[in-house]
Amino acid sequence: MLARTVTHALVGIDPRRVEVEAHIQGGVPAFAIVGLADRACQEAKARVRSSVAAAELEWPGTRITINLAPASLRKEGSGFDLPIALAVLAASYQVPAQSLEGHAAFGELGLDGRLRPVPGALVAAEGARHAGLTHLVCAAESAPEVALAGVEPVGVRHLGEAVSYLRGEHEPPEPPPPDDDFAVLACVPDLADVRGQERARRALEIAATGGHNLLLAGPPGTGKTMLARRLPGLLPLLGDDAALEVTRIHSVCGTLPVGACLVRVPPFRAPHHSSSVAGLIGGGAGSLRPGEVSLAHRGVLFLDEFPEFQRPVLEALRQPLEDGVVSVARVAARAVFPARIQLVAAMNLCPCGARGDAAVHCACTPERIQRYREKLSRALLDRFDLALTVPRPRGHELAGPPGERSSVVRARVLAARARLRDGPPSRTPSGDELLERAAERLPLSGRGHARVARVAATIAALAGSDHVLPEHVAEALSYRLPKEHGE
Amino acid sequence: MSELAVAMFAASTDSHLLDEPRSARFERFRAELDERGVVAELERRGIRWVARGDHLFPARLRTIHDPPPGLFVRGTAALTVFDAPCVAVVGARACSAYGAAVAAELSRGLARAGVVVVSGLARGIDGAAHRGALETGRTVAVLGCGVDRDYPRAHRTLAASIAENGLIVSEYPPGVEPTPWRFPARNRIVAGLCDATVVVEARERSGALITADLALDEGREVLAVPGEITSLLSKGTNHLLRLGATPVTCLGDVLAVVGVEPSRPAATALEPRLEAVRAAVADGPSAADELVRKTGLSAGDIAAALAELELVGAVVQADGLYRVGMPMS
Ligand SMILES: Nc1ncnc2c1ncn2[C@@H]1O[C@H](COP(=O)(O)OP(=O)(O)OP(=O)(O)O)[C@@H](O)[C@H]1O
Ligand SMILES: [Zn+2]
Repeated sequence: MLARTVTHALVGIDPRRVEVEAHIQGGVPAFAIVGLADRACQEAKARVRSSVAAAELEWPGTRITINLAPASLRKEGSGFDLPIALAVLAASYQVPAQSLEGHAAFGELGLDGRLRPVPGALVAAEGARHAGLTHLVCAAESAPEVALAGVEPVGVRHLGEAVSYLRGEHEPPEPPPPDDDFAVLACVPDLADVRGQERARRALEIAATGGHNLLLAGPPGTGKTMLARRLPGLLPLLGDDAALEVTRIHSVCGTLPVGACLVRVPPFRAPHHSSSVAGLIGGGAGSLRPGEVSLAHRGVLFLDEFPEFQRPVLEALRQPLEDGVVSVARVAARAVFPARIQLVAAMNLCPCGARGDAAVHCACTPERIQRYREKLSRALLDRFDLALTVPRPRGHELAGPPGERSSVVRARVLAARARLRDGPPSRTPSGDELLERAAERLPLSGRGHARVARVAATIAALAGSDHVLPEHVAEALSYRLPKEHGE
Repeated sequence: MSELAVAMFAASTDSHLLDEPRSARFERFRAELDERGVVAELERRGIRWVARGDHLFPARLRTIHDPPPGLFVRGTAALTVFDAPCVAVVGARACSAYGAAVAAELSRGLARAGVVVVSGLARGIDGAAHRGALETGRTVAVLGCGVDRDYPRAHRTLAASIAENGLIVSEYPPGVEPTPWRFPARNRIVAGLCDATVVVEARERSGALITADLALDEGREVLAVPGEITSLLSKGTNHLLRLGATPVTCLGDVLAVVGVEPSRPAATALEPRLEAVRAAVADGPSAADELVRKTGLSAGDIAAALAELELVGAVVQADGLYRVGMPMS
């Protein structure tokens, strides 16, 4: 007898329909999987067989062949366990074959028959929806993700539960209701924790409003990381489409918090400076996996110790910063992952870190400082609209009163964003005149000129002004890149 | 005498020569040297040769006790720049942000007043001095290697802009690589070209002090910028002050020494809003956050005021600290 289940394999962050055919014939007992299955997938044999026994079902004592079609697609991972088990059970008449109609299946089995969630349930569910299927049998933990795709989740904890559902003996439990957006926002740290740092807070507010990339330079321990972590809490929550896009990436990478549903708060990622190109940009030896830039899609990528990142990593950042996507290629495949990020980078003023700290003497030679700063190419630095130096505050500032709360700043950011969208502030002759004067005097490159103009418009919007006035241009000028960087 | 032959022979034998040596080897070298060909080749590469005997050779340099046989010159400016008052601005390579800011601001003011700023294209103070002067006027770099070497590499683009607006000179022919013994020799040319030498920051026994000594030997003025008495970078400059160097407390101190009138009439009064911020900065180097607290203005208003003050040269920023600009008088 032949039975068939449907599942979806992940290629990058896209689903590919895979049919799992189980063919049971008489003959010497044997169990084979054909159709370009990788090792994890071959290991399904042991897990499926043991699960069937654990669910007190019968393992057919004959020749079983599993075919994964199309054979041209490489099958990776353990998500095929459940569809293979269900196909075998249908082919051996232990579940009614017609009960599988309209259903896809996705999940890993333990030797005890327990169903484990695997990354990418959301994508598998989207595949199911595109294939016209209405239900997806999956691990209970994956049910909220599956529901997001508009597919009815059949969340089960054990292979036995899946079987009794298909036999019509058992209804799966309702998935828990989605989290409240604002409760999720409360998990982001609050700006009120940051003492002093008025200038950096102001720059953060401008960055949040205009979506500008921000470069913070200063000695260690001055709160650069603290500030960066608070940026997502100032940004608007993600709209439905954006949220789904972001959730899809985190689903595939297994970085969604357990039981979480739609990611509404812009993500925050802070990879270490030892990260590889594959880790940061995507790709890698095994499969086409999104990298940190895609995990930070529509959110904030924070790179601490910016010049310490390997040069190829820094250069590879330019594509996502320019195009909002990354394309990664491997021998056989190629994928494009979304990567629209807001970049916050932090660095010291010199390799030893003492510069900008009145209490410590910096012993760096000019050559070392030069080499440190030269690691950042002009082309990369050109992506930062806002740059500022965060010197070490004198002791008493940290004892000061708490600053404004994120919710207060966020309200201003949202209002200014609406203004920028609906009727951006217009240029004025007096504002332009100041910009021209600065361009001559500073000197300001053509790109630097454009950056200042962008930031000035954001500042005007924050001020509630319909026009970009000289004071807005002047403030924007104060956040320009210092000359000595990348010269 | 053939100055060019002397310069070329010195380079080919790695020696320091001012006049024709009496040796058979030199005679042979000179006989084989195609001087016209050399000059033509230099010209093709945009490099001029000015012999010591040439009337274009800088007059002040000719009067030192060991003038070079001539100068190789790269750049667009006429050699008459050396007829203008010239001031050397030199100092430590590993300078502080304060030192770099003072060197740049001072050079900006000097160049604006028509003074030619001469320095050695090194990192630190030298580079800041050239950059400051380029913004408002003329500057000359004196190298201890061939003018085509762009040494140090980090100052390649700076060298290109100096060549575009001023001059790069050396007593060594193109192609000569920098070697340590050539730097003190170079310093005598820096001092020799100038009416006065200003040392901005210098450790004890540093190259900038050599330049100052050479200037004193030739009877030229030496000035020093006072620094913190606790900083190693002030050891050399404070030593000079004790020996009687003129302290630099404002741009006017330097202009007075070379007899130049400040080009700018008394600075136009600042708006009260800006003056309040400037006054707060004048209390001592401050981070923007301290100014927010001192003045009660918002971080945005302080940022705007500081940028405007920077534009008129009333404050300068380095490593996140704002200071008042070089006083005019
Ligand atoms: N402005 C501030 N207000 C309150 N706490 C602060 C502030 N600055 C620093 N801190 C304290 O110092 C710690 C270190 O700060 P943080 O990690 O943000 O510094 P950093 O500038 O990112 O340093 P590094 O570059 O070494 O990562 C924080 O966890 C916080 O406790
Ligand atoms: Zn240092």
